Amino acid sequence: MSIGLLSLIVIALAVAGFLIGRARALSKAGGDIRRLHSLPNFYGQSVFLFTAVPALLLMAAWLILQPMLIEARVSGMITAADVPEGSSVGLVMSDVRRISDGIDLILSQGDLSGEDVARMRADFSDVRSRLATVGVALGADVKPAVFEAAKAYNSASSSGRLMMSAAVLAVALAGMAFALSRTTADFRARNVSETFVRALLIASSFIAILTTVGIVLSLVFETVHFFQLYPAKDFFLSTIWNPQFRGGSDLGILPLLWGTLYVSFVALAFAVPIGLFAAIYLAEYASKKVRAVAKPLLEVLAGIPTIVYGLFALITVGPMLRDYFAQPLGLGTSSSSVMTAGLVMGIMLIPFVSSLSDDIINAVPQAMRDGSYGLGATQSETVKQVILPAALPGIVGAILLAASRAIGETMIVVLGAGAAAKMSLNPFEAMTTVTVKIVGQLTGDTEFASPETLVAFALGLTLFVFTLGLNILALYIVRKYREQYE
Amino acid sequence: MTMHATNMGNSLYKTDPLTKRLNAAEARFRIYGMAAVAFGVLALVGLLTSALGTGVSAFRQTFVEIPVMLDAAVLDKSGNRNPEEMAKITTIGYAKVLETAMVAELTERGLLNDRVSAKDAGGLISKEAPAQLRNMVLANPELLGTTVEFRALANGRVDGFFKGRVTMESAALDSNISPAQLELAQKMRELGLLSVSFNWGFITGPDASELRPEAAGLGVAILGSLYMMIFVLVLALPLGVAASIYLEEFAPQNRFTDLIEVNISNLAAVPSIVFGILGLAVFINFGGLPQSSPLVGGLVLTLMTLPTIIIATRAALKAVPPSIKDAALGIGASKTQTVFHHVLPLAMPGILTGAIIGLAQALGETAPLLLIGMVAFVRDYPAAPPEGFLDPAAALPVQVYNFTQRADPAFIERASGAIIVLLVFLLAMNLLAIILRRRFERRW
Amino acid sequence: MNDMRLTERTVDTTEIKIAARKVQVYYGATHANKDVDVDILDKTVTAFIGPSGCGKSTFLRCLNRMNDTISVCRVEGEILLDSEDIYDKKVDPVQLRAKVGMVFQKPNPFPKSIYDNVAYGPKIHGLTKNKAELDEIVESSLRKAALWNEVKDRLDAPGTGLSGGQQQRLCIARAVATSPEVLLMDEPCSALDPIATAQVEELIDELRENFSVVIVTHSMQQAARVSQRTAFFHLGNLVEFGETGQIFTNPSDPRTESYITGRIG
Repeated sequence: MSIGLLSLIVIALAVAGFLIGRARALSKAGGDIRRLHSLPNFYGQSVFLFTAVPALLLMAAWLILQPMLIEARVSGMITAADVPEGSSVGLVMSDVRRISDGIDLILSQGDLSGEDVARMRADFSDVRSRLATVGVALGADVKPAVFEAAKAYNSASSSGRLMMSAAVLAVALAGMAFALSRTTADFRARNVSETFVRALLIASSFIAILTTVGIVLSLVFETVHFFQLYPAKDFFLSTIWNPQFRGGSDLGILPLLWGTLYVSFVALAFAVPIGLFAAIYLAEYASKKVRAVAKPLLEVLAGIPTIVYGLFALITVGPMLRDYFAQPLGLGTSSSSVMTAGLVMGIMLIPFVSSLSDDIINAVPQAMRDGSYGLGATQSETVKQVILPAALPGIVGAILLAASRAIGETMIVVLGAGAAAKMSLNPFEAMTTVTVKIVGQLTGDTEFASPETLVAFALGLTLFVFTLGLNILALYIVRKYREQYE
Repeated sequence: MTMHATNMGNSLYKTDPLTKRLNAAEARFRIYGMAAVAFGVLALVGLLTSALGTGVSAFRQTFVEIPVMLDAAVLDKSGNRNPEEMAKITTIGYAKVLETAMVAELTERGLLNDRVSAKDAGGLISKEAPAQLRNMVLANPELLGTTVEFRALANGRVDGFFKGRVTMESAALDSNISPAQLELAQKMRELGLLSVSFNWGFITGPDASELRPEAAGLGVAILGSLYMMIFVLVLALPLGVAASIYLEEFAPQNRFTDLIEVNISNLAAVPSIVFGILGLAVFINFGGLPQSSPLVGGLVLTLMTLPTIIIATRAALKAVPPSIKDAALGIGASKTQTVFHHVLPLAMPGILTGAIIGLAQALGETAPLLLIGMVAFVRDYPAAPPEGFLDPAAALPVQVYNFTQRADPAFIERASGAIIVLLVFLLAMNLLAIILRRRFERRW
Repeated sequence: MNDMRLTERTVDTTEIKIAARKVQVYYGATHANKDVDVDILDKTVTAFIGPSGCGKSTFLRCLNRMNDTISVCRVEGEILLDSEDIYDKKVDPVQLRAKVGMVFQKPNPFPKSIYDNVAYGPKIHGLTKNKAELDEIVESSLRKAALWNEVKDRLDAPGTGLSGGQQQRLCIARAVATSPEVLLMDEPCSALDPIATAQVEELIDELRENFSVVIVTHSMQQAARVSQRTAFFHLGNLVEFGETGQIFTNPSDPRTESYITGRIG
């Protein structure tokens, strides 16, 4: 029974449960809903939920656990001799799964019976071409052991699937019977179904935590794996980044960190003054009309995808900086450079700094401004000596958030900063960043279990820790600031 | 703050030197502010003109229009119109047919000379054209033996010549095209054999290989992005709304709630590429889901968009005045009824606006998709959902990145064109959000 | 206080509807109500008066457990509705609130039609079998709230489009529609102009025939005009409770006297 069909049956049962529950409640009350504790629909709902939710949860758990258990059992059947040169058990196992799927297809077409397949032997019949007829293309002929494993996999999963169908249906029916047996006029159906709804709401808000846990676990797990293959000391302290396909790579993070921080610094050096002045102008000086036009225009900058900025850096800003600054000044000939990426990223960050600062400046109470004007101070004096100091913590928070953005930004640096891991002071030279190398190492063709690939996770963890620190600090500062004026 | 103590006794009608100085400083400060705003606005204008300037031409393409004699002797050797046998003729055979047709047409018009060989004449046509012709014939075998008006894509360099990207000088150094060929193309254009017109293929067609920029299209990428957006909408909106309802209306104030809240605001600021790593490690390596599938892309983008939707939804829920909740509770509605009957419907416009903005953000996201294999070269359209969710697909922003990684400068035009398509989608979504807000916004 | 109409009004029944004993309410660390003992009689208007922040509204909200919605709020002591403890674990606050309805300070109609506003309570409590019964309840509730004649032709118009006084009467109709036994009113006239106030006050007097009404008010004149019994709260304590006439003419506690003569508050 396919999963779709099974889910449909469960849902159908649940709908039937809904109708029966409703009718049963009404009949218990003698047709007078005033005698029921809750509206009849709630009785139906509680039967529906008891029928569907436990059964579907069981099905989800089964679907996750069954392949793991079968995999563990079947992979024992594959010996080292069955794994071809340059392959891995994982790849062979994926063949096993595909062959097993193929067997399902052959069976479903009805050309062969289950017994025929059980008798089929890879060393006698041409399994590969037989499978090709059902659209499962294999790279090489199937080894006997692999085919046997596939058969075992197939029979285990089909019997597992059968057991699952039976178990799921049993749970659905049991849930329905239980819920129906509780349906009486005094049964607090509304409370039950509301508790269920609330549990679903809580589960949804758990996703946020699960995501964080998933991020941390996946990063930490593979990073530990990486440090087993490559010494942590070299990773953190080496100044050379030089990955090789054939092993013996130097994977020092320092040049990448340097590039990251340099680009972020250049970006903030552009974005902070411009963003801040723009925010001050819009909050304190601009007429209503100017503000109504300029503020949304600046915010559009924040809504433009980073790939657009990346392309802007690649085709416009990069060549321009090279032709008008770097080459005339003799500073370099590369169009991708720290300056290119930094400048474009700076543009991207302007709205971050300006709109956050704008909010923060507006939160400074009018009374403070009035106090300053009352003493005969000019507007700029008031801004510089009253408003900015009062808003400073909030603005620092905004800048930290912008910095965290800059450090984690990927597409602009991939297209604008270059790929050379270097530690140079010349901003017109191409350098590279942590994010560029994460993309580079994970989109390449290297084997997954090699240090050259796994280093991306260590880089990712470094990036995550850096930005997490900045975010938490920034959020804390901004929150404290808001509380002050609320 | 400066106390204007020195002004005492002077007339207010006369500006004293200190005030003058202060006013000058004031004006300077103001100008800095205006300059900053102007810089931001100019940067936006530059960004958009850069994309529009290089990208608009991608929507127009050069086509060669010639009568093609579909020679049955070449294309169906057995002569029995059996599609299976006809399928054995590869595109090389069709390329010959096209070349013959081109030479015939040019000879008739007296355009061939000793500087242009038959091969050169055939070279004006895109390498993609034979495949298109083949598909046309296989779909409709009766055409064999007749002469059809065939509209073939012109070679990318010829196209570039009419768009100003390729010049006679650059052609002289180019092994793919010669100045003589370009002159021929120019003459053909004057005779109407060659024209530049709107290129639907760019929007609907699949990607093409490195050597055929003229045929590269966005169809697969748009479809892939659409699939992912469906996923994000179907998953992130209910999950986000449910989580927000819990946090805003039900959650007790305790450490655990605090933990979830800190988590959400932090997730909103985690670099997007980290979500890509999560997708690679959890969904692909651990969960065994297929690489470059819209399913994995959709899941990753969902997790990324959730915080945005949650933050927007909570703001919308918060904006519903408590008096409405009191009213419902006061006549004996339960908390759940209060929320679902009154608070949620009133917050809906705000929630939808937030969801659209989150969706727009997800649509433009590139970095995480690179890591889950969406960079792969995909030419086949994914099947219809739900199977299609597991088929490999591209995504619009990733397609832009892919175009930028190719050597032929014609792909830069394609990348910018793809950006225009992306921006049009984003603009439409944001307009929808603004309209929703304007139309349904309720002031309390 | 010349305009106070201290007519002799007899209390119709002596049956106790709500009995509160030694009620303590805490808001976090604040002790908002201390040792409050009150008996609310059936088919009687009871007024809670006292200076702002004296805990009268807080106590009112305890009577239908509206305070449950505030997480820092804690209630101790005993409140009996028809001799059943409303804070008992077995009690579903939702069921309680259907019996003890509430009208709030600011008129808060749902942004729906007038009809839907009134019909909402009967719908969620399953009080009707069909549309005809629902229509009947809506009409009779609007009649009880003295609003029927003004709105009968536009039941589909949004409730928020009514005037302030009409909105408040709509809210009263909405509360009446679930046929509660007790109606709590938290300063129901404070957002209304004098004409609307007079209409609502008249209405309260009529409601007394069917329900027991508890009204919190800032205005002593109002308390004197509409209530039969009055409780005076001060700094979280119930200072004095008795027949309205007696409280206003012959208060036994000096604090009550000071408040009534305008020295506190």
